[in-house]
Amino acid sequence: MSYESPPPVSAITRINILQGQARVSAGPRVEFSTVLGSCVATCLFDPEVEVGGMNHFLLAEPGASVAAADIDEHYGVYLMEVLINEMLAHGAAKQRLRAHLYGGANLNSHFARIGTANGEFARQFLARERIAIVREDLGGTQARRVDFRPARGQVRCRIVPETMAPDERLDTRPARATGDVELF
Amino acid sequence: MDKTTRILTVDDSASMRALLNHALTSQGFDVAQAEDGEVALEWLALNEVDVVITDINMPRLDGFGLIERLRQGSRHRDRPILVLTTESSEEKKARARSAGATGWIVKPFDPEKLVAAVRRVAH
Repeated sequence: MSYESPPPVSAITRINILQGQARVSAGPRVEFSTVLGSCVATCLFDPEVEVGGMNHFLLAEPGASVAAADIDEHYGVYLMEVLINEMLAHGAAKQRLRAHLYGGANLNSHFARIGTANGEFARQFLARERIAIVREDLGGTQARRVDFRPARGQVRCRIVPETMAPDERLDTRPARATGDVELF
Repeated sequence: MDKTTRILTVDDSASMRALLNHALTSQGFDVAQAEDGEVALEWLALNEVDVVITDINMPRLDGFGLIERLRQGSRHRDRPILVLTTESSEEKKARARSAGATGWIVKPFDPEKLVAAVRRVAH
């Protein structure tokens, strides 16, 4: 093995972003990857400090009622805030953030339009926080794979077979995220 | 006889402010909102409040700074201040406690648990 030769493509560290996760990196060899059905992934990038991050969330489970009241925004707001706070902790500035949105497909027409609801939530959240969306690929009926180089803000989004999409579940939330109260 | 409890929420996220406003006003609380610690101090200089609910990570003046500033004066020395944060580290919780916070709530918040906590600390 030669240490002089340029690093091969395999030197890329690929990190899978699972449902319920948010990760940030400035590593030049890091690539975040995720496969989305009705879930939405937000990619944030600050071009000045060259740091990026991705989250992956689901607000309501496929098959759930279409009623808007069943869409639980708390979890989406939480994962967006975790992502933004982590970006700021890495030196990013909120007013410089640029967003990409992917996913939000309605894979099965028998289900409620949960994918659409996820995408709409993400758009509204970013508008309220005044974070510009520079690219989005939302909706439709097909699963997507997203590969994001956080240090460069580069994204590749491809349609993939539905069988590659992970099972989307509401109960994969972090155990600590329960709104627990501790009075001192 | 029962005066409406007035709450100031302090959070830099507009979406989080909307969730808090809905959760609290629907339970009959009078809600005022500030987007960071500095705005909260300006508002508190002119208004009365029963309970403060504050985020930690905010621009200009964060939640720790806000709690410290409120505890320095006599007017808010006994004011219930609940921290509502995505942070879960014991170190930050200990820092909030030593700064004078009344309680610590982890996001995403459960509206029922939040309201129960507010009712317990309000006086």
